[in-house]
Amino acid sequence: MNIEITDVTRRFGRTQAVAGVSLDAGPGVLGLLGPNGAGKTSLLRMLATVIPPTTGALRLLGRDPRGYTPRREIRRRLGYLPQNLGYYPGFTVTEFVEYFALLKEMPAAAVPAAVAAAIERVDLGGKARAKLRTLSGGMLRRVGIAQAIVNQPDLLLLDEPTAGLDPEQRVAFRALLRDLGQTATVIVSTHLVEDVGAACTQVAVMDAGRIVFHGTPAELTERGEGTDAAGDAPLERGYSAVLAAARASLRASA
Amino acid sequence: MTAASTPAVPTRAWHLARPGRLLRLELRRNPMLWMVPLLAALFWYGVYRPCLANPPLWVLRAATIQSHALLIFAPLLAGVAAWTGSREGRRHTVDLVSITALPRWAAQLAAWAATAAWAEAVYLGGTAVVYGITAHQATWGGPLWWPIAVGAVGVAAACAVGYAAGALLPGRFTAPLAAVLVFVALGAGAIWIEHNGSYAQIWPLNVQGPFPDDSYGVFYPFLPDLAIAQLMLLGGVMAAALGALGLASARGGRWLRGLAAWLTVAGVAAAAAAIGLAGTARVEAHGIVIPALHDAASDRPVSYTPVCARSAVPVCLQPAYAAMLPDVTATLGPVLDEITGVPGAPVRVTQVAVTSMQAHEPGNGIAFGGPVLSGHPVTLLLPLSGLTLAGEGNTTAAQFSQQLRTQDAAILDALVGLASPVGPQSGSSGAVIVPADLSPGAAAQHAIVSAMAKVAGLELGEDQIGRQSAGQRGTGPPPGPQAGSPSSASRLAAAERFAALPAAARHAWLVTHLAALRAGRVTLSEIP
Repeated sequence: MNIEITDVTRRFGRTQAVAGVSLDAGPGVLGLLGPNGAGKTSLLRMLATVIPPTTGALRLLGRDPRGYTPRREIRRRLGYLPQNLGYYPGFTVTEFVEYFALLKEMPAAAVPAAVAAAIERVDLGGKARAKLRTLSGGMLRRVGIAQAIVNQPDLLLLDEPTAGLDPEQRVAFRALLRDLGQTATVIVSTHLVEDVGAACTQVAVMDAGRIVFHGTPAELTERGEGTDAAGDAPLERGYSAVLAAARASLRASA
Repeated sequence: MTAASTPAVPTRAWHLARPGRLLRLELRRNPMLWMVPLLAALFWYGVYRPCLANPPLWVLRAATIQSHALLIFAPLLAGVAAWTGSREGRRHTVDLVSITALPRWAAQLAAWAATAAWAEAVYLGGTAVVYGITAHQATWGGPLWWPIAVGAVGVAAACAVGYAAGALLPGRFTAPLAAVLVFVALGAGAIWIEHNGSYAQIWPLNVQGPFPDDSYGVFYPFLPDLAIAQLMLLGGVMAAALGALGLASARGGRWLRGLAAWLTVAGVAAAAAAIGLAGTARVEAHGIVIPALHDAASDRPVSYTPVCARSAVPVCLQPAYAAMLPDVTATLGPVLDEITGVPGAPVRVTQVAVTSMQAHEPGNGIAFGGPVLSGHPVTLLLPLSGLTLAGEGNTTAAQFSQQLRTQDAAILDALVGLASPVGPQSGSSGAVIVPADLSPGAAAQHAIVSAMAKVAGLELGEDQIGRQSAGQRGTGPPPGPQAGSPSSASRLAAAERFAALPAAARHAWLVTHLAALRAGRVTLSEIP
């Protein structure tokens, strides 16, 4: 398993962002669904080693990220696209991706080819020398994806990766996700249920800091069958049904 | 968005190449790169022009580079470095850069190094130009590196302080605040040094304390004591700033935290030790001496072959001052002509190092000695240091000659026995001593000085006669005549009488009466 999460919590002051999550994931694409404030981004930031858990145990790529040396090893094999991608407007696309390739301690001689490959994979080859300040929001998102995948990570964490992408790019991105999921563990946090249906082999639904569903997209679809859950597509209805059940259970236990 | 590429296999050579690539990337996109034209313009205006306006003495130009470059560059560099340092905070890339395998501190050090490298390129490039020109213009000596080293470390330290401020307190106002604070710190140093003669010497813009820039590093080696202390201070500040950066960003890595802590502590200790050492500094004859850093070898005079003018009384200068020889010879000529052949008159004029001592008043003023008659046959030992040389600032050759004429008067003072042998005079306040009660002998001495000055074309007012100084004729109010002392009018009358004599008669009288005049045994009535 590339990801082993055991009863992990995370608090920010009085706010419980993640409230006891346990989850295992191997190679493949795991979609992380949930409403705003469900704790998806906090969970992803813990997996990305940005923040440590308040309690609980976390093992990434078979290592405990609390130690400096294993954490550094994890980070070499990690790709992360944050929800709000910061960037340096004066850098070109190539420079920005190269910068992160070097920070990820890629061998210097391998960097140019890896950078070019990553840029090509997000279809920005024609904009490789463009300054980031000249790019649209969707292109910037693709630059963010390129920096995340430049080191061919074994663990790829993408927070809202398709936000700002046009339909054509979203289709292409789903294909990229499926390709990456062949060898790596990819976790995609998203609001867009159709992305999950098209690209993910596994799906987890979070609500109020907890995982309330973990299974395949087909299993999530089944949860919505025969219910009056809201949604235009079967997967959406399954998602709505899972959330409704989880909230009812929470109210009952309270 | 398409298929995958092949992973590369790391080797040792690739590991070594990575920092180079990172630095190259930072150099290419560093905000300081955009400031290079401005820095170059500022260097040209604030350093190059003042340097080239000075006479081609290495020490003058080195001192100008250190003090001017730091004053002009440091605030701007701190501001730009703070802007660079705050990049991650301003651009919201903290999450991205803090989860990379390379320690964030290393990435920050690369960005700081790129920032400092551009600043150093301008500073060292400008210095190379100034030194290249000086090498063609200077008549003696070689480049001084200590002031240049202080400037170079000061540039890096300003970048480090600014970068650390920007990284630790990111915000759009950090850069201007850093620039203003560095400027205020430099300004505070200027005020501090006015009121403190020891600790404040560490001020990085200070080259050799109260010494004029042409008064050291010529006759004796440049004393590096203060420069070493300043390097310790600036290096310490730089290390502490970079260490603090590491402490804040090296989460998790024990050895990194240890290294950052060690660097911070070592930097603070070095800076504190430097200030402590500066507290032991004392002004000596040829510069500032810090006992713990002083090398006695620096106290040995520098050997040189003087350049001399072929005049009736040869005038010899240190070769660094060769360009001033014609002015010095022409200015001293009239007085030397008047006294040539008189017993006790100098047969040769030799430039000597400035003689100085710490002044007694609070502050860090020093006193300079004037010209001295010494030896057998008598030689006039003439220090030029302390005068504003022709070409220094906006000083013209005429203004330089005007200053030299005060040396003429001092020569006459010395000749008639008015000047003290070494004669430390106030160099900071300009106050001089006017005898309150002139004895008959002293009155005659003053009258002769006044007469010969008049003959030689010197314009000495009555209130100047009798002042002991050479070169620091000042502003002290003359006291009123006391009962029993010869009146000012009688002194003037005697001076007028003597000046009106034919040159041969004056000369003959001086030959026969100089010894008595010097001994104070000649009265006004005995002056023909």
